Amino acid sequence: MNNYNIVVADSSETSRKKVCGLLAKKGYRTYQATDGAGALRIARSIFPDLVIMDINLWGINAFEVASIIEEDKLSTVVFITGSPNSDFYEKLRTMNIFAYINRPINPDQLYQIVEFSIINSNKISLLEEKVEKLESTLEARKKIDRAKGILIEKLKITENEAYKLLRKKSMDSCVSMEKIAEEIIKKYL
Amino acid sequence: MNIKYSKEELLKKANDLELEFIHLQFTDIMGVMKNVSITTEQLEKALDNEIMFDGSSIDGFVRIEESDMYLRPDLSTFVVFPWNPKEARLICDVYKSDGTPFDGCPRNTLKKVLKEAKDMGYIMNVGPECEFFLFHTDEKGEPSLETHDNAGYFDLAPVDLGGNARRDMTIALKQMNFEIEASHHEVAPGQHEIDFKYADALTTADNIMTFKMVVRIIAQRHGLHATFMPKPKFGINGSGMHTNMSLATLDGKNAFFDANDDMQLSETAYHFLGGVLKHAKGFAALTNPTVNSYKRLVPGYEAPVLIAWSASNRSPLIRIPAKRGNSTRIELRNPDPSANPYLALAVVLKAGLDGIKNKIDPPIPVTSNLYDMEDIEMKEKGIESLPANLYEAVKELTKNEVIKDALGKHVYEKFVDAALLEWNEYSRYISEWELDRYLRKF
Repeated sequence: MNNYNIVVADSSETSRKKVCGLLAKKGYRTYQATDGAGALRIARSIFPDLVIMDINLWGINAFEVASIIEEDKLSTVVFITGSPNSDFYEKLRTMNIFAYINRPINPDQLYQIVEFSIINSNKISLLEEKVEKLESTLEARKKIDRAKGILIEKLKITENEAYKLLRKKSMDSCVSMEKIAEEIIKKYL
Repeated sequence: MNIKYSKEELLKKANDLELEFIHLQFTDIMGVMKNVSITTEQLEKALDNEIMFDGSSIDGFVRIEESDMYLRPDLSTFVVFPWNPKEARLICDVYKSDGTPFDGCPRNTLKKVLKEAKDMGYIMNVGPECEFFLFHTDEKGEPSLETHDNAGYFDLAPVDLGGNARRDMTIALKQMNFEIEASHHEVAPGQHEIDFKYADALTTADNIMTFKMVVRIIAQRHGLHATFMPKPKFGINGSGMHTNMSLATLDGKNAFFDANDDMQLSETAYHFLGGVLKHAKGFAALTNPTVNSYKRLVPGYEAPVLIAWSASNRSPLIRIPAKRGNSTRIELRNPDPSANPYLALAVVLKAGLDGIKNKIDPPIPVTSNLYDMEDIEMKEKGIESLPANLYEAVKELTKNEVIKDALGKHVYEKFVDAALLEWNEYSRYISEWELDRYLRKF
């Protein structure tokens, strides 16, 4: 098992200690937060693999803390609650992972959800990275095509020649073809 | 620095951005920002100045019988919140139901004095240096006095939480069209400063309000509590809001600069300076409006105590920074960030204008460090002190007709009532200091 870092944010000392104890047994490294702001401070300091958060956290509202943690890509949040209602499910829909830990805590369920959440959120962030990369490549491709079009029209050259010209400019001036394309578009539009 | 939108452009923009909420913001007399939030569907109504609110439900605003107030958005203040792209804000002026500007709206108060300046041929430019503290919360989520610099919080890796928060504040402010000039850690632990570019006085006052909001919200997102309280801790520097001011003529020239003078200052600059120094006691209640403000104005912490000016020394009330030409300006060092920026700028400008009108000459500048000056020497030079506490400041205000005139009757009365209420409550309170000192002794 990997040495995952987990923040347990729960204002009840008994509950917090219990969850931490259970997690420690399985070899997870745990950090405790007693209030919303504290959870944010730890999350920003260590970028944990998972934050387990009681929905009745003191200080800033737990849902707000959770959305800040996920919006700013600090970690993934899984809630603990004893009373999931329709409002709670509605909020859960906006989170990275649609899962929660039920109270009273059943150790097997806890382990299963923790493992499930960490593995899935890692997969999600890998996918997100890929999408981002593809998007930026696509964006660059579009710009290069556009610049090529401009060069073909202005200089009356073939597509292949235009591409070569762009590539040469890029290599000569040590900047990406995307940047060169951008400059050409800016100049002729 | 903001773009001026037309009504149609703004409606289109709100639609394009798929905004959900628009916050109509205004500031009460005590300098607290108030919000009326509307949905995008109501934006057109708001831009037609038809959004109404009940003024009597806001502390110290109006009496119950004249409570219907209208908000008039200033379209140049439209900005989307970077931390929530579905929400935007507009800063508003408050109008009465008969369509005249409401006297109790600090933004109107400032506009009135700015108009007076304009009639005299001047535009006021202001650049503030706003300081604040970032504190941790305790285990219950309440703000504490613990700073990240010395908080042994779970002994984590040495991450500069405050520095990271400040970086995010700077990014957010830039996205809101601020031009950030400097951002750094200040003298005291947990104390920070972010400076933004000068602008005309009204824009700067709006910017100060926006700045405080942004700092608080971003701090919260970092699990920190931002406070603009002037002196949160005994024994370390307090937070000031040094105010760099200059007047420009209507054709955009710096009215404080004169290449032929010894100090390269114009007659206007000297008279403005004279006016500000003359009325410094009178306007202190506005630039330093809380009980706590006066605990910052004590010797030894880079805060001014004495009413004097100098070209270089940082101990007196006013310093003339070395830059000349178009950057010629004077730096007023007593305002603190608890001040209502609209009222503070209004009274300081009024004091300066009074100096220009009545050709008030400033005293000779001091050259030595005032903290080291002997009492006798100060008496000889006729150097006076700023009010020692809020009560003295209010007393000085009640004696000063020029400053009262700048505020107008409504704001003046409400302000004095509120300040005296605060002072009376404070005077009756038994502080920790008293308990520590007397409980065992007597």
